[in-house]
Amino acid sequence: MTIIASYNIKGGVGKTATAVNLAHIASQKNHFKVLVWDLDPQGATSYYFRIKPKVKGGSKAFISGTRALDGLIKATDYENLDLLPADFSFRNLDLALDGHKKPTQRLKKLLAPLKKEYDLIILDCPPNISLLSEAIFEASDMLLSPMIPTTLSLRTLEQLKKYLKDNKLNHLTLLPFFSMVDRRKKMHNEIMRDITDIYPDTLKSVIPYASDVERMGWERQPLGAYMGRGRSIDAYRNLWNEVWLAMNA
Amino acid sequence: MSAGSLYFKCPDNLTAKKFLKKLAKIVTLEIVAQEYMCKTFYDSFDSLLYTHNMICEFNHSQKQSNMCLIDRKLGHMIATEMVEDMPRFVGQCAEGRIKKLLVSSLAMRAIIPLCHLPLTVYRLNILNKDQKIVLRLQLDAYDDLNHYVRVLPLKGYDKAAEKMLSVLQAQWHFKPAKSTALDDALKSMNQAPQSYSSKFQLKLTPDTPANEACLHIYLYLLKVINKNESGVIEDIDTEFLHDFRVAVRRTRAGLNQLKNVLPDNELAQYAEFFAWLGQITSTTRDLDVYLLSYQDYKLILPAEMQADLEPFYTLLKQKQIIAQDSLVEHLTSDYYQDSLANWQKYLNSSVRKAIKTDMGGLTVKELADKRIWKMLKRVLSEGAAINHDSPAEALHDLRKTAKKLRYLMEFFASLYTPSDIKLLIKSLKQLQKVLGDFQDYEIQEISLKQFKKELKDNQATENTLLAMEKLVTHLEHQRGLAREKFADRFNLFQKIEHQAQFQLLFAPAQKVKS
Ligand SMILES: Nc1ncnc2c1ncn2[C@@H]1O[C@H](COP(=O)(O)OP(=O)(O)OP(=O)(O)O)[C@@H](O)[C@H]1O
Ligand SMILES: [Mg+2]
Repeated sequence: MTIIASYNIKGGVGKTATAVNLAHIASQKNHFKVLVWDLDPQGATSYYFRIKPKVKGGSKAFISGTRALDGLIKATDYENLDLLPADFSFRNLDLALDGHKKPTQRLKKLLAPLKKEYDLIILDCPPNISLLSEAIFEASDMLLSPMIPTTLSLRTLEQLKKYLKDNKLNHLTLLPFFSMVDRRKKMHNEIMRDITDIYPDTLKSVIPYASDVERMGWERQPLGAYMGRGRSIDAYRNLWNEVWLAMNA
Repeated sequence: MSAGSLYFKCPDNLTAKKFLKKLAKIVTLEIVAQEYMCKTFYDSFDSLLYTHNMICEFNHSQKQSNMCLIDRKLGHMIATEMVEDMPRFVGQCAEGRIKKLLVSSLAMRAIIPLCHLPLTVYRLNILNKDQKIVLRLQLDAYDDLNHYVRVLPLKGYDKAAEKMLSVLQAQWHFKPAKSTALDDALKSMNQAPQSYSSKFQLKLTPDTPANEACLHIYLYLLKVINKNESGVIEDIDTEFLHDFRVAVRRTRAGLNQLKNVLPDNELAQYAEFFAWLGQITSTTRDLDVYLLSYQDYKLILPAEMQADLEPFYTLLKQKQIIAQDSLVEHLTSDYYQDSLANWQKYLNSSVRKAIKTDMGGLTVKELADKRIWKMLKRVLSEGAAINHDSPAEALHDLRKTAKKLRYLMEFFASLYTPSDIKLLIKSLKQLQKVLGDFQDYEIQEISLKQFKKELKDNQATENTLLAMEKLVTHLEHQRGLAREKFADRFNLFQKIEHQAQFQLLFAPAQKVKS
């Protein structure tokens, strides 16, 4: 079982789109049993799966251990793909964690019983570095990090690298990749080249900026559920292949 | 989730259309798929899967076909696999869960189709107001039988499932399915799953007149012969001929061992017929056994020699086909059909009239005690006379005597305390195993030498002949080992307590008193 966090310090970079689409592809193509955990109080992932962003007892109940995560899981419309929905109370997840002893170990511990049932767990994370993201880093095996090729993205990536190093999070494989890329923009191409030169570990797959992806909000389905072929779904499939290789490396 | 049933039988005359209409009135319904297919149920001739509480289905539609194992009691699917065609034998299944489950219940029996049921399968989704699926249903709409509905709850949506279950049961009066479509189909054809066992299981009562009991034994065996006949002719699997021959041998043992119970002069022609029947079935059976043992033979050889044995397999297969043809000819001959029909007529008519013979006046229990006691003493004395230097013939003779004892004990087992007789048959079996092995290895050795000669005449390669030679050597060695085991085995059999038990059980009453 592998736990992958879809994470970036920055907002609006495609974290949710990545979590939803990779989960769907992994469950279909590899017949993995997949769970997505929507940790963002905005509940975008839950929305895409048409599942109410509501958790019985809120974040307190499972953080304190009075409710096991397993009982909060909902089946999505897709075979082998389940969701742990978001809840409005997740905006206070930091506080809830802080009230607990060893807060950064908490998510890891809560997820442990689900290892038997799932082959892959994807955490859709809210932006920022906080107590919650620390707990996510502890729980995860991989950090899949979408970035839009802007002048700021190099700096953000460096920040993240430094953070992982300073906090000795050596178990965590960082997998940065480019998302919402407009190949027609000279700047996008240049920045991608520069970053790949400095960080050759950057994944080769590039997610283009495409209206097909935007349509997910209208369709309320993963890309693969309403598109068989196309530039964007192919890009996510390639991305999954690379992640899968990294999982098996 | 409530632990109740999720599988329901629809009321009579409820069509798929009506069901869908009713459903659409109370929920948002999406028909995901509607597929016309044919479901074929499979089992072995002797209903081994049924006995193991399994149902094997082959579902065939235009798009795809799969093989499914269903829990017969609970109705849920145990395993499923895509297949193009149904395998006939377990050996032909792909490695996996289905194969594992079938191996343990079917062994070498063929799986044969029981009945075909055409049906339309509807896969339905129930949606909430966000158009999210909260429950799945499957409707199996059989062309000519009651429909079945399966409720497939989704994790985290217990309420939707509970609501549906309550509608189905409380409002629409659907009953939890206690049977399956297979049971319905068999019932509509006036059939029950085959109740067949190759074991001799005739229940006798001790004070039945001996002659009447013998007739029942023969009639029971005749039924076994009849049941297996078509399977032998169609060559469905090797067990048909095996069971057919066992029934023939048992009949012969009865005719030879239970003399003077029925008029011997009237039985003479049948004794001759069954001897013939034993003979004309033996070649095919022998070849079946060699073919079944082929994999084991191969494994005796080192890996690099195994391929060299291939021509041996081809030879066996060719010979088996020829032998089977000639067997079918015999079993469709007038002599066979008339003799068997006469035998049946003779037994049935004799049941109805009183026959007087020397032994016929005894009760079956008296006859059984007498015959078993006598044969037992013979086994003990023949066995005791065998020492390290005795010729092979002595062991062969003992094997035959032990076999006769075994048949008698099986015929009459129902007259004795089950646990006692089981124990005795078991210990006799173990003695027979050593004696049987000893002879089997010798016969195999002789036959393999013969096959080797034939292969040589057919221009087989030197390597093939070498592989055959290696098998012969191996068998020689095995035979030696079996011979060595004999003394120990027999001593065990002979052990005082055994004899004491035998005496208590079988010694005719007056002898125990004296
Ligand atoms: N490849 C893409 N092409 C076009 N639009 C995209 C693409 N990926 C995401 N979007 C759109 O951009 C917006 C933000 O994407 P998404 O929600 O996946 O990002 P996020 O990193 O999860 O955001 P947040 O930090 O708010 O959680 C959404 O409206 C989404 O539809
Ligand atoms: Mg998001």
